[in-house]
Order: sequence, then C-alpha cells, then structure tokens
Amino acid sequence: MDESAQSPAAEAWIAFCHNIPALAGLLILLGIVALTLYGTLFYAGDAYEIVWAPHEKPLTESDFPLGTDYLGRDIVAGLIAGGGPTLAVGLCAALLTMVIGIAFGALAGYYGGWVDIVLMRITEFFQVLPALLFAMVLVTLFSPSLVTIAIAIGVVSWPQTARLTRAEFLKIKELEYVTAARAIGTRDRRIIWKVILPNAAPPLIVSATLTVGVAILFEAGISFLGLGDPNTMSWGLMIGMNREYILDAWWPVTFPGLAIFLTVFSVSLLGDGINDAFNPRLRER
Amino acid sequence: MSRILEIDDLAVDFDTRFGRVRALDGVSVGLEAGETLGLVGESGCGKSITALAVMGLVPTPPGRIGAGSIRFCGEELIKAPKSRLRNLRGAEIAMIFQEPMSSLNPVFTVEDQIVEAIMLHRPIEYDAARREAVALLERVGIPEAAQRARDYPHQLSGGMRQRVMIAMAVSCRPRVLIADEPTTALDVTVQAQIFDLLGEIQHEFGVAIILITHDMGVISEMADRVAVMYAGRIIEEAGADDVLDHPQHPYTRGLIACIPTLEDDASLREIPGVVPPLHALGRGCAFADRCAYMDARCRRERPALAPTGHHANACLAVAEGRL
Amino acid sequence: MSGSYLIKRLLWGVLLMAGVVVLNFLLIRLAPGDAALVIAGEMGGASEEMLASIRKEYGLDRPLMVQLGLYLADMARLDFGQSFYFNQPVTGLIAQRVGATILLVIVAQLLAIFIGVVLGVLAARNPGGPMSAFVSVFATIGYAVPVFWTGIMLIILFASVLPIFPVEGMQSVKLREAGIIVKSLDILHHLVLPAFTLAVIYLAQYARLSRASMLEVLGSDYIRTARAKGASEASVLFKHALRNAALPILTVAGLQFGNLISGALLVETVFNWPGMGRLAFDSILRRDHPTILGVLFFSAAMVVVANLLTDLAYRFADPRLRGRT
Repeated sequence: MDESAQSPAAEAWIAFCHNIPALAGLLILLGIVALTLYGTLFYAGDAYEIVWAPHEKPLTESDFPLGTDYLGRDIVAGLIAGGGPTLAVGLCAALLTMVIGIAFGALAGYYGGWVDIVLMRITEFFQVLPALLFAMVLVTLFSPSLVTIAIAIGVVSWPQTARLTRAEFLKIKELEYVTAARAIGTRDRRIIWKVILPNAAPPLIVSATLTVGVAILFEAGISFLGLGDPNTMSWGLMIGMNREYILDAWWPVTFPGLAIFLTVFSVSLLGDGINDAFNPRLRER
Repeated sequence: MSRILEIDDLAVDFDTRFGRVRALDGVSVGLEAGETLGLVGESGCGKSITALAVMGLVPTPPGRIGAGSIRFCGEELIKAPKSRLRNLRGAEIAMIFQEPMSSLNPVFTVEDQIVEAIMLHRPIEYDAARREAVALLERVGIPEAAQRARDYPHQLSGGMRQRVMIAMAVSCRPRVLIADEPTTALDVTVQAQIFDLLGEIQHEFGVAIILITHDMGVISEMADRVAVMYAGRIIEEAGADDVLDHPQHPYTRGLIACIPTLEDDASLREIPGVVPPLHALGRGCAFADRCAYMDARCRRERPALAPTGHHANACLAVAEGRL
Repeated sequence: MSGSYLIKRLLWGVLLMAGVVVLNFLLIRLAPGDAALVIAGEMGGASEEMLASIRKEYGLDRPLMVQLGLYLADMARLDFGQSFYFNQPVTGLIAQRVGATILLVIVAQLLAIFIGVVLGVLAARNPGGPMSAFVSVFATIGYAVPVFWTGIMLIILFASVLPIFPVEGMQSVKLREAGIIVKSLDILHHLVLPAFTLAVIYLAQYARLSRASMLEVLGSDYIRTARAKGASEASVLFKHALRNAALPILTVAGLQFGNLISGALLVETVFNWPGMGRLAFDSILRRDHPTILGVLFFSAAMVVVANLLTDLAYRFADPRLRGRT
C-alpha cells in the first residue's frame, strides 16, 4: 500500500492519469466537442445548403473533403453541425436519467419497506416497456423537438440507475458512519443527500458516463428513423436521409456513423477509466 | 514403514506487485504410509502452498515451482505431465479444505459430486457408483444418507458438508489425504467429531494424512509427527510427543504456550508481533523480530534446518546453546 | 418449484400489462389536441363521420373513469381498434408480424449468448492473455456501434462486395410456392444478416459479462475441489464453473429482452424485416396511433413473458432458490 495519505478522489485521479485508454478517450471526446463547438470558425460550410453536385466522392474535391450527400450537401459541414444536437441531447437525457434514477433508488434503498416495494414495482414497470419504442411513441404523440427527445430518452432510461442507486444505498446505510449520523439525530433528508449519496458517488459517476453513451445512441436511433426534429441536422438524421442510396454512395452514411461510434466509444473508454480508477482492486488484475 | 511421499528442497515463487517472492523455500519433509504428519504454523507461513504443490494445484500464474522435487511412491511429480497429475489427484492423493461452506459446488447434489469423484478414477457403472456414494455418506456418519444424498450443499450444515468432503476425498481409497485446516470454520463440538472421523477413516482405509493446522492442541490429539513452518520454511521437525514435550525453536515454544489448558485460556495469548511479509524478508532469521533470544548473528544469518538426533530445528540460539 | 410462486408471478405479469394499458390511455389523453384526432391519427385523413364514430366507440363524451373502463375492457379482449392507415384491425396486423419479430429476437439472443459465452470463457482461462484483451476491446466497440449503422455497413458489404446473403426482406419471391423445408432454409438465409447485426451489441456484452463471471467463479473454493478430484480442465470450465457463472448471465439475458426488442425495431427497419418493429415504424410515420399503442402493448407483453420465463429458468438453475416463494 502507498504510505502517503491521499484522499480517495486524488488517488483515483492519479490512477486515471496512468490509464492510457481512458486518457485517449478523454482526448477524443474533447476533440469532438471542440469540433462541434468551434468547427465553424475553421470550416466555413453550410450544412443545410445544396452546394455541389450530389454524391461527390470524398477526397476528390478539396472544398468538400468528405464529399457530398444525395442532395449535394457538404458532409463535413453536416458532421460539424450535427454533433451539437446529438451531444446536447445525450447530455441532457443522461442528466434527466440520473436525476430520476437517483431519486427513486435513494428513497427506495434508504426507507425500505413499502416505499421500496412501491418504487421498485414502478421501476419494474418501466423496464417492461421497450425503451426505444416507448421513446418513439412519446416523441410522436408530442412534438418532435430536441427537448421532447431528451425527455423521452430520460423517461425510458432511468430504471437501471434506480436499481444501481438502491443497491448502493442498501449497502451504505448499514455502515457505522450512517448509524452514527442517525444516532446524533441527523435528519433523514440530510443523511440521504449529504451522508450516503457522496459515498455512493463513484459507481454512479461511472453509470452516468455510460448513460451519456446510451443516450447518444438513442438519439441517433430516433433521428435515423426520421422521428427527430427534421429541421435540425444530426448524425443519426444524416444516416437516415441517405439510407436509400447506400448502394450508390457509401460515404454519406459511413462518416456520420463513424462520428457516433467514436463519440460513444470515447465516452465508454472514459467510463471504464473512471471505474478502474475508483476500484484499485480491479486495477491490479 | 515406507516413505510414500517425499518432498525435497521445494521452493515456490509468486509474482506479486512487490516483484517475485519466494513463498516456500527449501522445504523438505517426508510422509510414511499410514501416519499423520502435522504441518503447523500461523496463516501465510506456507502450509497451504505446500499442500497445493503436492496436489499440483499451485495457481500458475502468479505462482510457479521454483526448485525441488516431490516424489509420490518414488515417482517425480514436479515435471510429471498434467494428465498424470490429474489421474493421481483424487485417486491417490486427495484433499479436503478449510471452508466446507464453499468447497462444494452449489448447483450439484451431494451425490452427483461424490459419484463424479468415483467415476473419474474407477471403471464403475453409474448405478454402482451411486450406491457406493450413499454407503460412503453412511460411513462418514450422515443420517438418512440415501435421502441426504439428493440434497444440495446449501441444505446441509457445515459439519455435514465437511463429512461429505471427507466421503468424497476417500471415495477412491487414496494413499495420501491432505486436510487443510478441516475444522477451522466449524463449531468446537463439531470439530472434535470431525477429528474422530478422520482418525477412524485413517484406521479403516490405511491412509496417510497431512494435517494442516495452526493449533498445537489439534496436533497433540492427532499427529504422529510434526513439521513447524514459519515464513515459507520448516523450522522444526520431530515426533509429535517430542515437539510438544521438548520444543526447541522459540517459535514452537510460543505456539505451545498458546494451547489452552483447563486453568488458563491461553488461546487468547499470542506470540507478540506479526509474520513479516515475504517480500520484506532480510538476510537473517525470519523470526528474529519476534524472538526473545535474538542476537546480532540472527540478523545476519539464516539458520538451516539442523538435525539434533531425531529432532531437527533451525535456530542459531539453540545451536549455540544460548537457550 | 412451488405453484404459489408461479401464480404470484403470473398475477404480477397481468398487473404489469394492465399498467401498460392505463399508460397507453393516459398517453392519448395527455397528447396535445383532440383525443379523437389523436386516436385517428393525423395522417388517417379522418372525416367528421370517422371522428364521430371514434368518439362514440371510445366514449369520449363520457366521464374519464368510464372511458378508462371501456378502454380496459377493449384491451382485455385484445381489441386495439382499427388501423386507419392499413384499414385493418390492429390485432390482426400484429398477429401477422409478431412471429417474424420473435424469430429475429430469439435467434439473435441465442447467437449472442452462445458466441459471447464461448468468448468469455476462453478469455477467463487466461485473464492477462490476448483473448482477454480482445474481449475487452470488442465489448467496448460493440457497445459503441449504433446497431442500424452496423446493419447498413453489412448491407453495403454483402450487397455489392460479397453477395452471399440476402440483404432485404424475409423470403425470396420466387420461393413463395416452395416446400416447407426450402422455405424454412430461405428464411434462415434471410435471417443471417439481421440476426447477426442485432446480436453484435449483446454478444459483446455477454462476452464481457461471462468473462467477469467466470473469473469470479474460477477463484472459488469448489473449483479447487473439482481440480483436487482430478476433473479435467474442460470439465472444470464447462461443467463446474460455467453452471455457476451462467446464473448472472441468465439474469442479464432476461433484462436484455426489452432492449433486444428496441434493437429489433431498428434492425427490421434497416433490413425490411416484416416484423412488429417495421410495423411500428410505418405506423409512427403515418401517426396511426391505434397500431402504435397495440405494438407497444404486445412488445411489453413479450418482455413480461420473457421475464417470467427467465425467472423460472433461474430458479431451476439455482437450487438455492428452489422451493422459495
């Protein structure tokens, strides 16, 4: 064991910095975020305008390095414009997922008894609904906007977070420092949010990272099916629109797909890295 | 009597995050047919690794046999092919473990697990093997053996499970039975029953037993001969009575002082200090830090196991007559 | 296995389905606009007479609880009303397609479990070895690839470069009249790409999970006992270890069914597989709400049944749970 006294978070951070795949993930992700945020500063293309002949091959025309789609729109511009909505929806949906999931799981795990039974039955109910289908129904019944999509994804994804949070709470609430907090008369609300939750944070942070990945895939799926906001460019939408012509031109679907893959891949490397950093025992394996 | 098992200068290494450490170093000990050899020491001193080495079950990696030889009836086991070791395991050399609660597979019935052991090594029909399994369960004292045979491990108590383990271990009439702290996890009353059973089994089957324990009290009940281990080495070896009545190594003396008597619950007493971690062993005697008789030479030299008559010990203080 | 446990689970399943129906009902109410219009769907070209008939059928002019009662009664008879786009009863529409979806989902699930477990077991044999590294990398990649994109890439590959598998539909037109065996083989031939596409994500997850689960089991005392008995390495891995490591895999397999159905929806759309997912997509585009809600109900029912079966399988596989309620 290391003799120097360090906080667990500092130790985890040091472990993380020694984890090359995790750092690579972080770097790729930062790169993608930077491209979607500032790409237009370097690359002056319009994603929505028809600027050239349809199906121009990649690497043939220097103005359109990745070619054009079936209408003659610039693919690089599409990738830059489409990243923002995809990432934003992914983040917001993941946030919503965590909020609902942690609230359900924390209350169920802490109070136990009938609160636990009722909340877990509700969770089980939501797990019975095929998530993507339910999200699609929500999106179509209400208006297809980025906000609706983010809410729909959040509403269908939280049960797993709830189960994880509940398991952590069940484990932690039996520990001495929680009993001690109770013994000195700390209120339930304070114990839940200030005593137990911070100690349950590591697995929840990992789960949050992975949730972002899942949410991005969800958003891509919904946009791919053409159920998203038709007026906002997104990677899934680009694949969906060019789907009919894949046998004529592979590039308009390949690059947005790669973009989705790279994003989720880097998020997941990051999640694994955080997980390893918080679990030194696994690291030694 | 003939030597059935001969361990000679055995060394086992483990790769750890502190680098390669020698978990067993120069261990030499023999086992006569039908006798009980007690292997004594605190946890982490290499008793279980010696047992696993004999079984050919040292987990590799991180472990590996560094040097030495293990001969069973004259046959070298260290370089033997895996298939040969497999044929010996369970058939000629069997083992029972410390944790009866987790040593049986939870998803198979007791009967299935004994039948498997029988059929792995003997040309026998399934039905005959089943009848024999039930007979073995009866023999190890399981009431209503025919019904209990259909039970899963979780339906049995710890003592019953250890009886099942013993039935399984002797099912092929092995010549060597290694019992690794077989009663540590059990109640005191059950412990005595299990040792009685082992004694009976030994008489009936003529099996030689290597009994691994940290409890000198158990040794006085069970063992013919004793080897005391410390930090991967044997530091004293002799007949059980010899060791108990005239312990030589300070460590052995400490262990014996811990045997509880009626007047004095000495099990609460402990040898001061802890076993040094294997990666931090210096040049000298591994016990030096905890030893009341330590002097400068003990820090410099590691004493070898020096026979004095039938009683071997590895202690400079004893050799120099300081003690 | 105790009968009372089974009855309890069945009752809970029925209750869950009733919950889905209530949710469907609430969704229609909560959706903005006239409920009759929502039910008819905006693309249904609903005439005034049609809307009037919907209002009458669903009792939209009656109190909310009565409406819910009427709706529940309809659902209990598996009457999901009329699809305005297909102009057929919804139940009939689904009945025609549910088989194709079940076939796709089950074949993909089995494929994923089988290949995933074999990879995981091989990886667990040597936790630091190349197979282990492959499983980790593959699992991360498999998790990150959008399933519809995998499908599209496979279509590009197998339509132009390597045309050995059909990339569209479920049956060849020219084999419609063929015998049952030829037809079955034809369906299997069409199934290869969709099933593989759907399996890839879960395959990666099962590989990672069974690797972890096997690693844990292989370190346990009873595995040491099996080795001490002289059991062969194959018997140790596949009999003693896998029987125990399979328990968490089974749990996850049960939980994955809902996700598989979601994935099937995308895969069916990409490969034109004539299942419920394809139907859901078509009816969502046409805002054919009775059909959408019917599909949602049947998909949920499939998940409930799958969970029930998993639960029973788990109790059968783990003797420690048998006989408990």
